[in-house]
Amino acid sequence: MRTVVLASLRTHTRRYVAAALAVVIGVAFVVTTAALSSATRDGLTRGVSAPYDGADVVATDLVGRDAAALVAAAEEDGAEGAEASVLGWASLPVRRDGRTLDGVDEVAQVTTTPTLRWPELVDGAFPAGAGEAVVDAGAAERADLGVGDELSIGQGDRATDVRVVGLVDSPSQLVRADVYVTWADLAPYADELYVDSLAWAGGTDALTDAVPHATVQDARGYVEEVTAEINRGVDVVAILLLLFASIALFVSVLVISNTFSILFAQRQRDFALLRCVGATRRQVLRSVRLEALVLGLVASATGLAAGTAAGLAIVAVVDSRFPTADLGSASVSPGWYAGAAVTGVVVTLVAAWLPTRRVTAVSPLAALRPDTGIDARTAAGRTRVALGVAALVGGAGLLALSVSTTSPLVMVVGGTTAFSGVLLLGPLLVPALIGFTGRAASRVLGTPGRLATGNAVRHPRRTAATTASLLIGVTLTTAVLTGMASARGAVDDEMDASHPLDATLTAGGAGLPDRAVDAVRAVDGVDDVLAVPGVRADVGALGAVAVLGRPADVAAITRGPGTVLEVGDDEILLSYDLVSGREVPNRVEVTVDGRTERLRTVLGEGWGSAALVSASTLAALTDTPMTTALWVRADDGADAGALADGLDAVAAGLGASAGGGFAERGYVDLQLDVVTGAVVGLLGIAVVIALIGIANTLGLSVLERGREHALLRALGLTRRQLRTMLGLEAVLLSVVATVLGTVIGTSFAWVGVQAMVRSVVPEAPLVLPLGQLAVVVLVSAAAGLLACVLPARRAARVSPAAGLALD
Amino acid sequence: MTSTLSPPGTPPGPPTGPPAATARGLTRTYGRGDAAVHALRGVDLDLPRGRFTAIMGPSGSGKSTLMHCLAGLDVPDAGTVAVAGVALESLDDTALTLFRREHVGFVFQSFNLLPMLTAQQNVVLPLDLAGRRPDPARLAEVVDTLGLRDRLGHRPSELSGGQQQRVAIARALVAQPAIVFADEPTGNLDSESSAEVLGFLRRSVRELGQTVVMVTHEVDAAAYADDVVVIADGAVRAHLVDPGADVLLATLRGDR
Ligand SMILES: Nc1ncnc2c1ncn2[C@@H]1O[C@H](COP(=O)(O)OP(=O)(O)OP(=O)(O)O)[C@@H](O)[C@H]1O
Ligand SMILES: [Mg+2]
Repeated sequence: MRTVVLASLRTHTRRYVAAALAVVIGVAFVVTTAALSSATRDGLTRGVSAPYDGADVVATDLVGRDAAALVAAAEEDGAEGAEASVLGWASLPVRRDGRTLDGVDEVAQVTTTPTLRWPELVDGAFPAGAGEAVVDAGAAERADLGVGDELSIGQGDRATDVRVVGLVDSPSQLVRADVYVTWADLAPYADELYVDSLAWAGGTDALTDAVPHATVQDARGYVEEVTAEINRGVDVVAILLLLFASIALFVSVLVISNTFSILFAQRQRDFALLRCVGATRRQVLRSVRLEALVLGLVASATGLAAGTAAGLAIVAVVDSRFPTADLGSASVSPGWYAGAAVTGVVVTLVAAWLPTRRVTAVSPLAALRPDTGIDARTAAGRTRVALGVAALVGGAGLLALSVSTTSPLVMVVGGTTAFSGVLLLGPLLVPALIGFTGRAASRVLGTPGRLATGNAVRHPRRTAATTASLLIGVTLTTAVLTGMASARGAVDDEMDASHPLDATLTAGGAGLPDRAVDAVRAVDGVDDVLAVPGVRADVGALGAVAVLGRPADVAAITRGPGTVLEVGDDEILLSYDLVSGREVPNRVEVTVDGRTERLRTVLGEGWGSAALVSASTLAALTDTPMTTALWVRADDGADAGALADGLDAVAAGLGASAGGGFAERGYVDLQLDVVTGAVVGLLGIAVVIALIGIANTLGLSVLERGREHALLRALGLTRRQLRTMLGLEAVLLSVVATVLGTVIGTSFAWVGVQAMVRSVVPEAPLVLPLGQLAVVVLVSAAAGLLACVLPARRAARVSPAAGLALD
Repeated sequence: MTSTLSPPGTPPGPPTGPPAATARGLTRTYGRGDAAVHALRGVDLDLPRGRFTAIMGPSGSGKSTLMHCLAGLDVPDAGTVAVAGVALESLDDTALTLFRREHVGFVFQSFNLLPMLTAQQNVVLPLDLAGRRPDPARLAEVVDTLGLRDRLGHRPSELSGGQQQRVAIARALVAQPAIVFADEPTGNLDSESSAEVLGFLRRSVRELGQTVVMVTHEVDAAAYADDVVVIADGAVRAHLVDPGADVLLATLRGDR
């Protein structure tokens, strides 16, 4: 029997290529995941302890104000040698020569004494005091900064000028920043500081005295805890990636199983002949399982190599293109390798199980029957239909339940069940759809169209299995695209409500000159500008504040209804950053040049760093209002970064401060884009495997139908018509799978929006990203065509005489 | 090499007018060097119009290769073929295909029909491919002549071997091609079905005025033909016009 296995492997190697490729990709996916997560883990944990090396304790649960208090306490306590290092950063505009630097905005503290100083000097010196800064080497390269450069940090009247005195490496990824300044320069921004932790050297009494609510912890224990947390985080990401890998592997199972089914159908006469000459059922079974095992082993080994190479390549590319990502070194542990290899082999064996069982059902007599062509007519059995319908109905019920209970778990279970139902009913459903679509195609393409339709549905199970693999990928992709588009719609509405103004420019002093309007209008991406009248007023304990009068024509410039900008005649809206955490009484007195109004305070945001009153209130406060703020509406597609830079530049020249929701909106959009892109990209791997499967089915069918094609050619089918016929068959398969997948995917997305988004945003609409969905259908049709190129070429090359001589 | 023996007085009489197909110096070699097989070595042949010609010869003598070259299914290494006055070597693949579909009919030994099409669809397939509608009268005539009327809706797997061959013959005849080629059309059939199929082929010549060229091993089958071309070792050994059984047997025996 060994000779048989070897000989058949030798003969059929080429026919196994696609199946092997599916396993290789799946296994490589797992190994690449391992390599990337190890690199990320290494990169994140490598320098974690550096900021705490000189510390005795670490304080956490702090806000900027607490950090400031602790630094002050350490300085007072100086005699005892206590020191504090704030680990955290403020996001501030950093300018050189009046131009905001791109990608350099995180500003953090560096201590003047070495005890707690953790960045590693690469060039120059550490700052000795105020007015000096060091810059992270990566950031310096990005923004082309060097020792000796003059920078201006922050905006408005708190802007600070510093000189770069050195370049540093930031060993810890968790608390790295772009620019490090001494506390003296950072202190004005204490309120905006995000404090991750604070390293403290010396006795802890002063610490607990200054900020009693701080959580204080032994430094080594803290580092261990953080490391463990990073590991958990990386594990979660790795598990998410493995989820996608398992989708890819499941699709591989379908592709491999289909390959085996087709190959074994084609070899039925061989098997029957073996049985005729005395091979037992077991022997035949063992020989084909052995073939599957060899395939699984070879493909897994290739997958391990390919995955390792891909992992290393990705790490290298990321390292060179995105230095701040700072991945560590990639290493795949033997456990991962073993796991991936075993997965690959098991997947192959599982996929081969059913087809190999069917092989042994062949009777020895089959070899003796005249060759009437391969007639592997298979249809859906009654049990299968019953199971399929039950799953579909049950799944739909669960989905309905999930909408009313808003339970994601019920939704996932329901979705999976319903989808299994669709897959089970595939042998009925898919040929019917193909027949329907094919009839339309035949009208245009004539006989080749009719033949293609007939060929596509000749083996209903084979057709269903082939399309199922693509169906999975397309369903998930469209569900994600539609779900994300709907989520984005909901988020956009939220953003419209909370950030009615795209950008604001608020005067720091008495008012803005007239030229400011033109300067702002000239900024790239500005659509419209509204000059807002106002006055500088004393507002209770807050001191001098820009008080704006709500203009009547504000609706022209806001996004959404602009509800947050509505203000009553007896009210004053105070922005959070104006108040910055201080207690504000219910009513305040607002005074301008002796005129005083008592107004009810309302806290909010969305109109810049100012207070907002009604037009009549403003008129009561002053007779000579000045343009105090400019409210800006951006072009819909404007580049948020460029807009912010442009406005910052104008603001800097006027001593004003810029703000607004456009950048935040852009950031949220970007995050959604990244998530959508990542998910679609990861699902893309499953789609690629499915397309390999389509090419494979088609290629094997072409081999199987060699004589038929020769006959057709003899009877007058031109080469072009033959290629058209095969191309149409592939396109029918892929387009029907895609359209079906799109329909199912959008329905799942609808359920998802009902069950998950509506519980957060009640009015969330289902947004169909029609453009993207059209791209999905077009891409899969094109991919289907691509999949048929090789088989069709091979089929068309064979001369009719040679084809007829085929056995 | 070609000898023409013409026993007198057998209807429908010797050929007149231009031949349906001619071959000159036809050479076809498979493989190269030591492994080269000379399937055809310079075959010259004229196949007369309106007659039933059998091509006979031992296995491996090049019968199928000759037929494939004559029918434009295979391209000879050297030599020329003309069918219905058209030189095949002047045609590219597409033109050749279109020519076949208009002017040549085929019947093969096995695997003649497309399994997914019904008998009727198989019969009209060449016309379909050409985008032509079958002439209903002609279709009815052929179908009735071959006795397929009540089998038209069946798929090949639901037909007996003889019926399948009859469907193939119907397909070859329905478009009224200039010439019909049949490669061992009875090779898979029992003697009764063979007789039936061969009878139909002969009727198509006698009654429908068709030109039929048939490759066969069997002397019994060749007896249905008007003329017999004997091939040996890739060359024409004899072209017998209306041979009697005795002449045929003598010629064949002489070759062995
Ligand atoms: N594709 C091929 N490659 C190599 N040699 C071939 C090929 N086809 C045919 N031959 C050889 O050419 C010679 C003629 O073959 P052909 O099929 O024409 O014979 P035949 O007379 O039809 O035989 P049979 O009566 O057995 O069908 C044979 O020796 C055969 O081995
Ligand atoms: Mg032959």
